[in-house]
Amino acid sequence: MMTPVQQVVMAVIQITVLISIILLIVPFMTFAERKVIGYIQVRLGATRQAGGIRGFAAGINKLSWAMGRIPVLSFFRGLPVFAADGLKLLLKEDIVPDRADRFVFVIAPVVCMIPAFATFAVICFYPGTLFVFPDQFPIVGGLPFTGFLTDISVGLLYIMAVGSIGVYGIVLGGWASNSKYPLLGGLRSAAQIISYEIPLSLSLLAAVVLSGTLNFRELSIYLAGVPTVTAAGAVVQMPLIAAIPLFFGFFFYLTCGFAETNRVPFDLAEAETELVSGFHTEYTGMKFAWFMLAEYANMMAVSAIAAGFFLGGHYLLPFGLQRFVPDSIPFLAQPSLLFFFGKVFFLLFVFLWVRATLPRYRYDQLMSVGWKWLIPVTLVNLLVAAAIRFTF
Amino acid sequence: MSILKKLLPIDIASGMKLTGKYFGRNFFQANRSKKHIHITVEYPETPITIAPRYRGRLQMLRDEQGEIKCVCCLACEKICPTQVITINKGKKEGRKTPYPTRYDFEMERCIFCEFCVESCGFDSIILNHQFELAAYNREDFSIGMDGQFQDMFRVSPVGQYSISSSATPDSPDYTQ
Repeated sequence: MMTPVQQVVMAVIQITVLISIILLIVPFMTFAERKVIGYIQVRLGATRQAGGIRGFAAGINKLSWAMGRIPVLSFFRGLPVFAADGLKLLLKEDIVPDRADRFVFVIAPVVCMIPAFATFAVICFYPGTLFVFPDQFPIVGGLPFTGFLTDISVGLLYIMAVGSIGVYGIVLGGWASNSKYPLLGGLRSAAQIISYEIPLSLSLLAAVVLSGTLNFRELSIYLAGVPTVTAAGAVVQMPLIAAIPLFFGFFFYLTCGFAETNRVPFDLAEAETELVSGFHTEYTGMKFAWFMLAEYANMMAVSAIAAGFFLGGHYLLPFGLQRFVPDSIPFLAQPSLLFFFGKVFFLLFVFLWVRATLPRYRYDQLMSVGWKWLIPVTLVNLLVAAAIRFTF
Repeated sequence: MSILKKLLPIDIASGMKLTGKYFGRNFFQANRSKKHIHITVEYPETPITIAPRYRGRLQMLRDEQGEIKCVCCLACEKICPTQVITINKGKKEGRKTPYPTRYDFEMERCIFCEFCVESCGFDSIILNHQFELAAYNREDFSIGMDGQFQDMFRVSPVGQYSISSSATPDSPDYTQ
């Protein structure tokens, strides 16, 4: 049994590891975005730094030009750009507009960012112990390092509750800027996120109805189709026919996830052609970086939830098809951190892929897709899931 | 049927298929040392293919013996709309035709119309394929028959702004 001190230290270590992984992936996503969209548009993406023919930037450019000859390294030629991006955001002047509401203006990016990171508290990356600290460590010696931060029984409820706070940051930021375009962007974003919250919840509810639990870890194991033993001693396994509502629910969830994270084709909150840049028009420097961090962290959270619920989580096969992998296969039949992160990275790639493919929806089209199509089909999906739960 | 068509995102799927195809092709093959599939060019390092009719800087030609082909008929000087060419006629030992002792070209006012080349009856001048003509000083645009950095017979030195090892002003790709 852990003492309170051990619990606190363990939690701090796990949070530090988790946050550093997120903060490593999120800036890398901006680089990946340049490269992926570049490749889709038959370009090369970022390959060099701006700079003269002499000096530090020229040295980096010479190095990256030499990297272009090596097959795998040639994909990472523009990598210094992302360090330069971060440095630029740190060093930029922090402008607060005249007669803006200063307190709300400063607090808005924080309100946007904290829920995005807090979502990861209940996400289960691996349903067990990753490794045990050796006994030599002073406080945490002999304690297990689990693949999840917390294992609360209302995990999904927590995700839904925390995830819907993020919209306040966008609305407050738009309002506090004392400018009409951010205000319009914030209002649009509020209407959009509140509309798409409903089909998002309904599509996740189908998974909940099937499994009968709100705990993220149990949900992802059950929905992978692996037989589990309940506390009462009975062996439960998801029926195979439940893969149908899961399959459709995945696409509904992904569509709503795009709308929730304000990504193309639902990025009306920052429509460049109509509103200059939406709710973060007046933000510069680190405050803008926080909005960007929040957006990419939200993308990661949406990908992680979709991977955990619909794509089989830490198991290999999605939609409850893991039952077809016999236990005798050594690596593929076992849960693995690699499978989970592979799915998350694939879904992050899908975000970029869709961004390079689809144009932005008009506002009335957005509302009509949300209310007239997504809510009815997710309701039907929920009904099918409930019927399957009732019958089998 | 129309409801089914609205429900199933067939158009989105076909669009994703197209962009996915392009991504796969470029991701696995867009490498500088292999065949170029991407449509952009890494400009200062990689030489650009220039259309044959491109009109660059005025350049004088020599024949096989190394003699200047210009015979000072002054056709180019007369036809030039902006009057950027100045020719002084002269004589040279062992040469029957007149010899230009001075052939000045002021590129700052040149409009690259190629009238001079068209009017030349001896094919002694061309507009070469050089397009990197920027300079820091106004005097650098006045090009004569002899100069420290550039003259009428050679292309202007440009490769110094490239970071690549293969692209130099003397390389055949670069000077066309």
